[in-house]
Amino acid sequence: MSAQFSIRDLAVSYGRVRAVKGVSLTAGEGQIISLIGANGAGKSSILRAITGLTAPESGEIWFDGERIDGKGPDQIVARGVAMVPEGRRIFPFMSVRDNLLMGAYRRKDNAGVASDLEGILTRFPRLRERIRQQAGSLSGGEQQMVALGRALMSKPRLLLLDEPSLGIAPIIVREIARFITSINRDNGVSVILVEQNSRMALKLSSHSYVLETGKIALSGPSHELAENDDVRRAYLGG
Amino acid sequence: MTQVMLNALVVGTTYALIALGITIIFSIMKVVNFAHGQLYMIGGFVVYYFNVVFGLPFWFGLVMSFLIVGLLGVAMELFLFRPVMLRVKREEVTMLLAMGTAVFLESLALIVFGEKQRGVPPIATGIVELFGARLPTGRIVVIVVAAMLIAALMAFIGYTKTGRALRAMAQDREATALQGVNLKWLSAMGFGLGTGLAGLSGGLLVAIFAVHTGAGTAISIKAFLMIMIGGAGVLSGAILGGFVLGFLESVGYALLPGSLTFLIIFLIVICFLIVRPNGIMGKPWG
Repeated sequence: MSAQFSIRDLAVSYGRVRAVKGVSLTAGEGQIISLIGANGAGKSSILRAITGLTAPESGEIWFDGERIDGKGPDQIVARGVAMVPEGRRIFPFMSVRDNLLMGAYRRKDNAGVASDLEGILTRFPRLRERIRQQAGSLSGGEQQMVALGRALMSKPRLLLLDEPSLGIAPIIVREIARFITSINRDNGVSVILVEQNSRMALKLSSHSYVLETGKIALSGPSHELAENDDVRRAYLGG
Repeated sequence: MTQVMLNALVVGTTYALIALGITIIFSIMKVVNFAHGQLYMIGGFVVYYFNVVFGLPFWFGLVMSFLIVGLLGVAMELFLFRPVMLRVKREEVTMLLAMGTAVFLESLALIVFGEKQRGVPPIATGIVELFGARLPTGRIVVIVVAAMLIAALMAFIGYTKTGRALRAMAQDREATALQGVNLKWLSAMGFGLGTGLAGLSGGLLVAIFAVHTGAGTAISIKAFLMIMIGGAGVLSGAILGGFVLGFLESVGYALLPGSLTFLIIFLIVICFLIVRPNGIMGKPWG
């Protein structure tokens, strides 16, 4: 397994609060890994550091053999990293179409953009029906589809998903889970999945990291972690 | 009455252009640009210098008013607003900075341009009869040009990639950065676009009204009236606010003694804001 992506000894602080205290992890090309853990364990801070939204205090972040920590979000996105942020963060006063096209901001291949847009609308027919509506008027699940579609429009090779199931109806969560599996399988996109829904995270990913107060408490193949008694008690409800 | 309505149209289209510039800056930077009127005034002088002093065509001067005042805005964003906004989060600070910039630009203009009122030769001659009212051709040209500029701006914001990114940035800066947008570059560009519009409106209006270095403050106040009426941060609101103020002003000047007009307009706006504090179309733009 070649490590397409790796983090070495990452630390992230907000003022005096240390949110991430020395985390190392790797993701191979085409792999889905998940980060699970309670609220405030540092999962989102790790994703923010990867995309350059928050500058790391120390440590290294490598993608495709290049060190990307310290670069701005625009440069990191240009290298093929996309993120669906927590709370979706779609542009509420823009149409669904404009939201999706924003994802393709850096692309110059207009024909490719048009066909990718078509692909996303085929995958999510609900978005095709609402293509002209303001994205803020959509349901939570539909907004999550917009956020996922927007991230894919940049043609990423690494996709970061921050709590994609949060506040979304169970039936749509299943649709989103299928979608994550299919873009990983069909397009070969590597995925780092941050989830409070640990059951879903362990099921979708091949390798998982359990975070506790800014450190990795446990890691291993997801199917093994799913049978670990501590993990079952703490994160899977028995 | 037709005459009054036509005047309202002349004033309204140019006011709308002024209000659009201030709205763009407010939406994307969350900066209330009190120096907008001074930038408008500089735009007027740019056209005066190119047209009268250097003897170049009026239209060339107009393009230069957009470019020069736009670049001035880029410089303001890069060297004044950005460093300050990186250090402090309180909104009052950028307001004070904008006010200070206004005073600075006005004083500088007084030194450089002098205190004289400056105008340009008529851009068109003759008088047009329209629906029984008479209007100088020059004013018709100004209406048409201002309307074309508004249409071009709306098309740019609505249908181009950069326009879309500007709208996105107004709604969520972080999410915009995550789409690969270089926020630093786009912020400076957006600021320059807003100030460039101020310069352009000043440059265009110098063809009707002359310009002098003290003209800025009144324009800034009117610009704020317009965006309060239309709704702060909404492009369509800015256009509407421009026309509403242009209409009130033209009717007022036709029916009332001069100084009463703005007294009454302020009273109307205060009462209106009590009922509708967000203006007619108050919501973030998109």
